Amino acid sequence: MTLASTEGQAQAQIALVDLVDRLLGSGVVLAGDLVISLAGVDLVQIRLHALIASVRAEMVPR
Amino acid sequence: MVETGRYLYAVAAGLPGGTVTTVAGVGNAPVEVVEHAGLQAIVSTVDLSEYGEEGLRRNLEDLAWLEETARAHDAVVRTASEAAPTAPMRLATIFFDDDGVRRCVEELDDDLRAALARVDGRVEWSVKVLASRRPSSAAASGAPSGGADYLRRKKAESQARESAESGAVAAAERVADAVAAGAVAVRRLPPQDPRLSGLEGTMLLNLAALVDQGDSDAFGARMDELADAEAAVSVAAGPWPAYSFATLETR
Repeated sequence: MTLASTEGQAQAQIALVDLVDRLLGSGVVLAGDLVISLAGVDLVQIRLHALIASVRAEMVPR
Repeated sequence: MVETGRYLYAVAAGLPGGTVTTVAGVGNAPVEVVEHAGLQAIVSTVDLSEYGEEGLRRNLEDLAWLEETARAHDAVVRTASEAAPTAPMRLATIFFDDDGVRRCVEELDDDLRAALARVDGRVEWSVKVLASRRPSSAAASGAPSGGADYLRRKKAESQARESAESGAVAAAERVADAVAAGAVAVRRLPPQDPRLSGLEGTMLLNLAALVDQGDSDAFGARMDELADAEAAVSVAAGPWPAYSFATLETR
């Protein structure tokens, strides 16, 4: 076994869907100065929009 | 004059100086560290027309913006988390200035330290279990020869479906047990839509596992062994920063 680095193991790339789930769905729930007002944004709505956008992107041939 | 705010990526403990200053933040801004009471708040400056309430409302619905911001956020968090225990913040946690950042770190001090202790020396793995696509019924092809044959086929199909379902559930249980055995903590996340995940089949489990760094390779190998069961497929990914385990208790 080799050490990826002296500080710790190199971490793997994370899929966008997993990253967004974690960055919007969990993570430290913390009230930044602006997060209180942001609470009005429906995160489910954001996901829905992201979903629609990604489905559209799939329809574009690569 | 452009109004600016401070974007908080994460709070770390014992982050060596210069660790994150080499990585670009959101909007390519230089990343800085605000020290407070022995903790390091990792921040960069953002334009409030883009990251203020109104801007965020608009931008969070823009997938390209969301991806760019999330990727930049992740790059900063992983650089920090590879060097020191790091508690990642939610996307777009914005303060008006460094005093706001310090006040927040001060207020959450106990919770932050508890979260940092929880993720210290640990990484996150994602393990998802998906029901395999049912093979088309093994029943005879062609038109049923009569009412009795039709009913027989219906019954066989329904039995095949039930056994596939219970097989998938049993396979998911086995994976969940193996995850629990190899992890320090496990969280169940909501299943993802296949159109979002790009994974075929119904997602039965979407687990986040907190794993000791020293056990990470073995955990990944164990998950690979389990990947192909008869009735279900599991997909493991990692190691990642411990995003799902730095959550503060709700207050």
